[in-house]
Amino acid sequence: MNEIHILLRGSKNDEISSASESATIREIAALLEKRPMSPFARSITVRMVDAGSSNDVEIEEGLTGSPQVDCERFGIHFAASPRHADVLLVTGPVTVNMKLALEKTYAAMPSPKAVVAAGDGACTGGPLSGALGVYRSGRVSEVVPVDVEVPGNPPAPYELVLGILKAGQAIAAKKGKA
Amino acid sequence: MKMSPKADKILDEISKELAGCRCAISRHDGSLQAEAAPEGVPAACGAMMRAGGVFDSAFAYPSGGRGSDTIAAYVFRMEGVGVLAVVWARGKKFHAVSGAIPSALWDERKMREISGAEFVGLGDARPIVLHPENSHIEKKNRAMKHGKPLGGKGTDYIFEGTGTEGEFQIAVGPVHAGIIEPGHFRFFVSGEGINRMEARLSYMHRGIEEFARGKKMADAFPIIEQVSGDESVANSVAFAQAAEALYGMNVPARAESLRLLLLEEERIYSHLADLGGIATDVGFSAPASQFSALRERMMRLNEKCFGSRFIRGLVAVGGMRQDIPREKVAELRSGIEFFSNSLAEVEELAMSSSTFLDRAFSTGIVRPRTAIELGLVGPGARASGISCDLRRHFPYGAYRHARVNEALGKDGDALSRFTVKLNEVKESARLIGKEISYMQNGPVCAEIPHSPKEGEVAIGMCEAARGGCAMLLKAGKAGTIGSLGIRTASFRNWRALERAVLKNIVADFPLINKSFNLSYAGADL
Repeated sequence: MNEIHILLRGSKNDEISSASESATIREIAALLEKRPMSPFARSITVRMVDAGSSNDVEIEEGLTGSPQVDCERFGIHFAASPRHADVLLVTGPVTVNMKLALEKTYAAMPSPKAVVAAGDGACTGGPLSGALGVYRSGRVSEVVPVDVEVPGNPPAPYELVLGILKAGQAIAAKKGKA
Repeated sequence: MKMSPKADKILDEISKELAGCRCAISRHDGSLQAEAAPEGVPAACGAMMRAGGVFDSAFAYPSGGRGSDTIAAYVFRMEGVGVLAVVWARGKKFHAVSGAIPSALWDERKMREISGAEFVGLGDARPIVLHPENSHIEKKNRAMKHGKPLGGKGTDYIFEGTGTEGEFQIAVGPVHAGIIEPGHFRFFVSGEGINRMEARLSYMHRGIEEFARGKKMADAFPIIEQVSGDESVANSVAFAQAAEALYGMNVPARAESLRLLLLEEERIYSHLADLGGIATDVGFSAPASQFSALRERMMRLNEKCFGSRFIRGLVAVGGMRQDIPREKVAELRSGIEFFSNSLAEVEELAMSSSTFLDRAFSTGIVRPRTAIELGLVGPGARASGISCDLRRHFPYGAYRHARVNEALGKDGDALSRFTVKLNEVKESARLIGKEISYMQNGPVCAEIPHSPKEGEVAIGMCEAARGGCAMLLKAGKAGTIGSLGIRTASFRNWRALERAVLKNIVADFPLINKSFNLSYAGADL
């Protein structure tokens, strides 16, 4: 049993592979106890844009939907259209050829919204920062405003879940101000 | 490498044929080198093809020194005898070979753009790396970083239809509906059937080849791993092998064995995504979930055994950065055993469903002729019955003693790609088990000798999960990278998708796409 099982009162056979994963899960559990998670009754819809990563972060995002992690139990749902999304999950470094698509996707989302920069490439530019096909430093924040950063090469599925939940909090805060 | 008498005979034949092309021919290190004049490239390449060569890749890089000549290298695989043949040319104006060798079209389009050299007779001169609509961003960006702009103009990229009556277009991407990478697909459709499809990529172009220039070879692995995340090991090994050839190093036996374990483990977790994806795209969620669970399990096994879910940071020039302790290897072995048992269950579930089989059978067919014409590699070619496994034809490292049973299909449809990948995964599990029993103790990294001579060139190849990749590495000053050319399996196989979807319905496109599961990042670099 781990913290999430206690919280969700489930009995899923879910082994934890490392100490850092267990720490991430504890943080998720602590976050989930505070309500509201997002202004949308604990539901968060995510649209992702790969703006130039090496497909590693996409693989980890795909694995947040694996039976072991199962992001839908945290209310996280990936949408096909930015029109349906609360959170934009961006991986990088942002390339010259993807800058426009990223801007358009962000503009198509309804407010209030939040952006998660996932992976070292999106947060700092990563190992390819400075390459000629990469836009400026490659940071996502050069193109759209970033609310949450999830570093890692690449970040593990639970870390991405935590990042998305934090983005939900950011939206709640924005809504409170508005 | 010593050449067999059979190889010698074939090389003699090629030499004779090339004598008519005004080429300077030399042989060394088990490869055939032909130097041709820029306008004699098509003739020399034609001779290579007639002698049984398969076009593998073409690279262009600046000659260095005074004058800004471009050096072009066309690499051919002589599969029967395990010999590489390279046609070299130097100049500013080359004659294109893609008229006669269609598989070279994308290579030459890319060479033209990045080198600035002219290719006479190139059938499709649209830019492939830079998107013209972004040329103003690119120009500013390059000016900021002191790079020369690629010289694209702010024009539209034109997709041509087939002119069928009632034809309309469907534009998909760059941002797709799923959790995948960006790329644009343009369909020309009459009703439901697809008349033509064109993939426009390079949204992920980061400029890896250019960026690697001047970096120390030994420190280049973090960059190489960015080519494509789920091919991190294969690309690193291909690069390491090129560097080792330049240094003239021998890799210790234990390092070769460990590399085999990493490569096969990578193949397993990579293929599991494809298998699960195919099940998802036919709407068969039970095996899809099981494949997904198995994959996550393999990723966790990677972290436990190798300290990284993507097996990163382990390959080094001369061997491995660190040894894998015995208890980790044992853990890998038991993990693989568990995996083999679970896989059998899922396989039965998928292959006993008539709806699944019906959906995947005869969908997205690539005929053997098309596969040869486009020079396909990897499972995409093997599903059409084309034998092209580098592990068998060009055995490197531990594959010299570990005999690989190549999985071949015959129908070339989505179902054969599914079964080929399934069989490859099983073969990988077998290879890992066998190699662990065979593995000897010993050092895992050779000492790095003196830096290679500046200007020397080597080619490294490795069979990644998606197929063979090739890297051309030119030595710079003091162990740095002078030039790097990368040709991944995805770059070669994307064009197969354009052919496979013809006459299929649009609704089957995701299934066909997933049955190839190519990397956008790996093709765009």
